[in-house]
Amino acid sequence: MNPLARLLAKRLATSLIVLIGVSMLIFAIARIIPGDPARIALGPNATQEQIANLRAELHLDDNIVVQYGYFIADVARGDLGISLYTNRPVTADIALYLPATLELVLVAGIMMVGIGLPLGIWSARWRGRAADNLIRLVSLLGVSAPSFVWAVILMLLFAFYLPLFPIAGRISDSYAIAPVTGFLLADTLIQGDLRAFGNAAWHVVLPAFALALSGIGQAARLTRANMVETYDKPYIEMAQSYGFPARRIANRYAFRPSLIPSLTIIGLDFAAMLGNAFLVEAIFAWPGLSRYGVAVILRKDLNAIVGTVLIISATFLLVNIIVDLLIALLNPRIRYSQRPA
Amino acid sequence: MNKPLKLLSMAALASTMLATATLGVQAGGVLRLDEVAVGELDPAIASDYADSILMFNVYDTLVLPAQGGPGHVPHLAESWEGDGTSFTFKLRNDVKFVSGNLMTAEDVVFSLERMKAMGKGLSYLFANVEKAEAVDDSTVKFTLTNAYAPFVASLVRLPIVDKTTVMANLGDGEGEMKDWGSAYLTAQSAGTGAYKIVSHNPQEETVMEKNADYFLGVPDPAPDTARLRYGLEAATVRTLIAQGEHDIASQWLPPEVIKALAANGAQTLTESGTGAFYVKMNTTKPPLDDVNCRMAFAKAFDYGAAVKMIAVTDEVSQGAAATGAIPVGMFGANSADQVIERDLEAAKQHLAECKYSPEDFTLEISWIAEVPLEERFALLMQANYTELGIKSEIRKMPWALFAEQVSKPENTPHMSQLFVNAVTGDPDTLLYGMYHSSAAGTWQSPEYLKDAEVDKLLDAGRTAATPEGRQEAYAALNARLMELAPTIYGYDRQSVFAASDRVKVPALSDPSKAFGLDGMGFTFRLMEVAE
Repeated sequence: MNPLARLLAKRLATSLIVLIGVSMLIFAIARIIPGDPARIALGPNATQEQIANLRAELHLDDNIVVQYGYFIADVARGDLGISLYTNRPVTADIALYLPATLELVLVAGIMMVGIGLPLGIWSARWRGRAADNLIRLVSLLGVSAPSFVWAVILMLLFAFYLPLFPIAGRISDSYAIAPVTGFLLADTLIQGDLRAFGNAAWHVVLPAFALALSGIGQAARLTRANMVETYDKPYIEMAQSYGFPARRIANRYAFRPSLIPSLTIIGLDFAAMLGNAFLVEAIFAWPGLSRYGVAVILRKDLNAIVGTVLIISATFLLVNIIVDLLIALLNPRIRYSQRPA
Repeated sequence: MNKPLKLLSMAALASTMLATATLGVQAGGVLRLDEVAVGELDPAIASDYADSILMFNVYDTLVLPAQGGPGHVPHLAESWEGDGTSFTFKLRNDVKFVSGNLMTAEDVVFSLERMKAMGKGLSYLFANVEKAEAVDDSTVKFTLTNAYAPFVASLVRLPIVDKTTVMANLGDGEGEMKDWGSAYLTAQSAGTGAYKIVSHNPQEETVMEKNADYFLGVPDPAPDTARLRYGLEAATVRTLIAQGEHDIASQWLPPEVIKALAANGAQTLTESGTGAFYVKMNTTKPPLDDVNCRMAFAKAFDYGAAVKMIAVTDEVSQGAAATGAIPVGMFGANSADQVIERDLEAAKQHLAECKYSPEDFTLEISWIAEVPLEERFALLMQANYTELGIKSEIRKMPWALFAEQVSKPENTPHMSQLFVNAVTGDPDTLLYGMYHSSAAGTWQSPEYLKDAEVDKLLDAGRTAATPEGRQEAYAALNARLMELAPTIYGYDRQSVFAASDRVKVPALSDPSKAFGLDGMGFTFRLMEVAE
């Protein structure tokens, strides 16, 4: 078997085990949170009879193992149950909200890679100079404040005082885009509406940048540190002594080996953004899964909690698999370690 | 400049031009408002404020609350008559659902049966309806198990759904009626309302547009489109209103944000007369099982300071001084000038007559974690009672935990702070659940009050045949509740909404047009929106 295919198979198998473990854990935790889900779902005016009926309907009076059995049987049919928060199937809610969050996180991820890595490269290339110091300072600022602080600052600066960007939502009210993929940037292009695409892109800039800032700082700092270390390696000194151009040395010989540790961290940051997106989504009224996830936890919406956590875990695992494969592609030692003995 | 950088710059420039060209879209006849998520479209599940706004616009009811005063007026019904246990309604014959189907008595019967069978939302309001029958196409008769005077008031919470459409869209479920069309109705409307659903995302936004075939017609100045947004953060709403991108903020904005918006020219809209802020005392727990101790706490509470704490501007406040257990404007309420005031001397006297000494107990004052304002009231009470030499501790409780703990008297804190509203605007739906012995142990009744006289008066209030009889019963109840002091009647609640000056909402700005029912002020067809 191809070493990469072997690696992929291994990672998929372990991911499945992790997902089963996560489902058990979150299923139990969701039931430990204080409060009766039926009482919360039915609202303050519900009668005892209504509460008792809903508890019976949700099997809440059964043993937790029996409840988990019902859950697994439903999952096997592709049914995550009905959300007590929205009164709709959890799968329908996830299908509605996940693309919005993925779109936000993907754009933030592109910003993280597209801005963080070049900043790190430039910083390492001009280490000790003013540009390096400036980049390090900016990176430190990015890392030191959480996303929601940046979200409020960016909104105040670029939407309130200087109204360059929209404040809330994914697209202006005047556009009616029929969902195809759920990703507005893609759907607007599919429908050939460039103005709507521009509008959607403009809406995503501020929230994505707020979400990405910490990752940009981290990627820049890590890339710089790794490249500075690489610059001390004999083969770089040899390239310099041969008179290779500084840009070629930086991009080809110093950057590539430094990318592997950065890639691992970027992968983790990317996956973590799924969770961190909540406050950014709340501030920019972005109708995504992170916001939905927190709302369902607060309302003890058991089915939706489990469904949301499982989907976020699956996405996290998927991103990690992709990162592992990329690292294996970049590093032959990892790739060939997958060959059978 | 190298090639990739050039391409990147050009792409950035192009997208900037495209995007800036699409910004600054004119609102034009669009009303934009927000509420707490989620918006529930199914009338049999709907219960909270956002749901009410949806119900009052996409559905209609047999009656409506009269504007500017008590009582109800016909709406889908032309007239009605009743003797306390049976009510017969004559329906209009010119009302059509958005599907084009004519509304008949069958739809009314179906709507009630559906709500009762599903047993969710506000269905408990109709628990004592034994049966509903269609006498003919335009006559419907309700028979109750016992006399219930507020029945007509309850009908403002029975939106009429299109039976034919629902039956054609039954989803998965058991039995003949399967899911009663719930999956369908959580995403679309099947009503007769002045507005119809364009799109609905329960966490993001519901978009509605005028129903051109509405039986009463929709005036031109009313919004063509209404966008009810959900779950916007206070900072976001503030920025949106300041930029002219939002019209009416929800009542849940912090007072300081409403104040800042008002200072920048926003108007303030108000809705009152349906509820109050109460500090409920657990009458089963020492020292609150002694009426003198309860009276001491009630007299020592600084009502004036509490009302100042919720002031938005010099003229507008989120509440008015309470006059008793019943908010001003409802049956049995005291007049607005009979406000309750702090009387520290009387408090000391009551405390001296209480069988418990202040050294013997530590008062537990709880506040609901989701309502930060209550922490301020908890601190106010702590300061007030320190003046009586009483030790107290403040406990923050998430709503879910609170609702669970109050189910047992021993777990219920000494003092619980709650905002309670009458869901139909009738005092029965405010008071019965709080004070009747049979209702003890719910979130509304952490007092665990057991008093035969109170029970008798509550029953009299819901069975009296005439408005005068009800007034008498509730006035006596109010006096009895003042004597027993199971609750500190904090203030009569008033919801305040910050709004841009491009909207006119008479029902929320002119007391003679107010409805006396939560959410009904947001009847879009009665609003005006500048282009």
